[in-house]
Amino acid sequence: MNEALYVFPGQRGRPSVLFQSRGGLVPCRSREPGLQLTVKSISGCKCNAISSKNGTLMWEPDAFPFVKAKTCTDMSWIKEGELSLLEKISANILKAGPMPKHVAFIMDGNRRFARKKNMERQEGHMQGFNKLAETLRWCKHLNIPEVTVYAFSIENFKRTEDEVDGLMELARQKFERLLEEHENLEKHGVCIRVLGDLNMLPLDLQQLIAKAVFTTRNHNKCFVNVCFAYTSRYEITNAVREMAWGVEQGLIKGSDVSEALLSECLYSNNSPNPDLLIRTSGEVRLSDFLLWQTSHSCLVFQSVLWPEYSFWNLCEAILQYQLNHKSIQKARDLHREHQALQQLEADRACVAELLQHHSNGKPVDSQRRQEALLHYTSCREERVRDFLKALKHKRDSFFSDLCSESLLA
Amino acid sequence: MRTRMALMYSLLWRLLLILVHVNRALFSWLHVRIQSWKGRLWERAATVLLLPISLVGFPDFQNNLNHGPDANVKPITEKSTGGGRSRCLSDGKSLKKIPVHIGLLVAEEEPSYPDIANVVVWCMAVGISYVSVYDNHGVFQKNNSRLLEEIKRQQQDLLGVDGSMHSVEFLSSGSDQHQHNVVSCRPTVRVLSPDDGKQSIVHVAQQLCRSVENKERSFKDINVSMLDLLLRESKNIPDPELVVKFGPVNSTLGFLPWHIRLTEFISLPSHRNISYEDLLGALQRYGACQQRLGQ
Repeated sequence: MNEALYVFPGQRGRPSVLFQSRGGLVPCRSREPGLQLTVKSISGCKCNAISSKNGTLMWEPDAFPFVKAKTCTDMSWIKEGELSLLEKISANILKAGPMPKHVAFIMDGNRRFARKKNMERQEGHMQGFNKLAETLRWCKHLNIPEVTVYAFSIENFKRTEDEVDGLMELARQKFERLLEEHENLEKHGVCIRVLGDLNMLPLDLQQLIAKAVFTTRNHNKCFVNVCFAYTSRYEITNAVREMAWGVEQGLIKGSDVSEALLSECLYSNNSPNPDLLIRTSGEVRLSDFLLWQTSHSCLVFQSVLWPEYSFWNLCEAILQYQLNHKSIQKARDLHREHQALQQLEADRACVAELLQHHSNGKPVDSQRRQEALLHYTSCREERVRDFLKALKHKRDSFFSDLCSESLLA
Repeated sequence: MRTRMALMYSLLWRLLLILVHVNRALFSWLHVRIQSWKGRLWERAATVLLLPISLVGFPDFQNNLNHGPDANVKPITEKSTGGGRSRCLSDGKSLKKIPVHIGLLVAEEEPSYPDIANVVVWCMAVGISYVSVYDNHGVFQKNNSRLLEEIKRQQQDLLGVDGSMHSVEFLSSGSDQHQHNVVSCRPTVRVLSPDDGKQSIVHVAQQLCRSVENKERSFKDINVSMLDLLLRESKNIPDPELVVKFGPVNSTLGFLPWHIRLTEFISLPSHRNISYEDLLGALQRYGACQQRLGQ
């Protein structure tokens, strides 16, 4: 059954369509803007489209007998289906060892894939999205509850206007589709979060994103974090700005700033740090992605292009994670110990300063010092808790305000 | 039944790990053999034989095989004279691009100072002006005088008695930075530790928050360039274009998170008994990298 899947603006104003057929995704290009389509399918059959209504293309079923759908439907975020027997066995073998609980992907290679297969760039991105949905399915079968992906970097705004508009349009379609299948998302318990400087995006896209995030916020079986309009430096800067906001509001003091607090102010504060970061297409850099969070993660660079990613590539990456697990765990523990020590030193220094003020130069006994330290630490922790609550409220209101705006519009 | 299945899978997993370790041991043994034989034919034969196994996922090894240094490169021995330096310089010039700052990330226990000093000296001889050395335990930081001694010694060995023409600036966290506001034209060796990473960012954040507390600025003024500037004020570390990681651990282990946004990472199996050809191979691979910077 051929089913029309997606329509997007192609080059030079000709709409382009992708059909799902047994041979895979088949592109279909129109000869004249908006009207006639020539299907380049396996059997070489031609068909005529009738008209363009609200941006959707309609086909005469007689002219093209094996077209099922009349209107175009977007590709889903959720792919159902079990693993094959061999895949299941391999998954079970891997699951006998330590498994990552949070995997991050840099989905690189869409454009190179499009060039390789003589497709349009936009189709490459479409295939890339398709692969993402499949990867989420594999992660579900491998019991990996959280996935973060790098969808769009702030640096990508530098690309040609055509490409950026195409990507924004793709994002709109995807988030609209997400809202349409919210029941399916609820069934699978998928929570979608979008990380990034969202105010850089067009307002209607922001509203769509806000709705998607808002409707799935209480789901808790698996988590998908999409980094959109994101770079790590902007994220860290934003975290510092939030802490400065907290100071300005009088919620915390400048001395309360610590590594742990900064981590809590990042966009990704609701997620643990990624255990495994995978970058495809053979590039060996991080490109400003989760630089803070992946400081003690397993990095795996694979040369396969993202739209060609397979279950076995994922298994290979997880195997690398398992081989590195012990040494990375050791490094993480060391870092945590060091952090705790630094926090203790900082608290001690603050307490010493305070005591000096209050005791007017008289020496203070160690018991009094210890009590003061405990008291100071618990006060600091309370301040930090209140600040983080206020921050969460601020962020939730950002999304709910955008949602209510779009309802009124 | 279920526990029997679980046991079986657990055993199979252990078997898988053993197979991988055996594979790796085989590769490193072969790698050493190939280096010593230096026959192109042998390299090609080995690649063909190992291709099916290497497809299972040891891209580093494949890269080393495919982009390894020229078979004609003669090894640099410790006792070579000043001719070594000009040879290094010409090797450097033949590379498509050289990083301004190279980071040497030692992800192995018990680092070997002579070997690291070797790598540092070779990097500088090839024309890299800023070399940093990092390990996540802060061992190099604690023993930086020992490292400096080794570097001086290796410099003399490589460059001959006239090593002083290559006077090197040696920086670690203890040294006073404020006089180095002018970009130094001398090659610099910098010892880094985890405190130079996240902790430095936290210090800048504290600085900014304190100035907000004192009403000197508003939180709205804080942006990426301000943070970047403040970070470089106290420790002017340029962004490393290349980080060469030594050791089997696939992680940055806390190395300068802010600075590595566009850094290329190239892994070498170990820094022990490392040869000049290994380093040159890594630099050649870096030369072949293409950066699109988002576009």
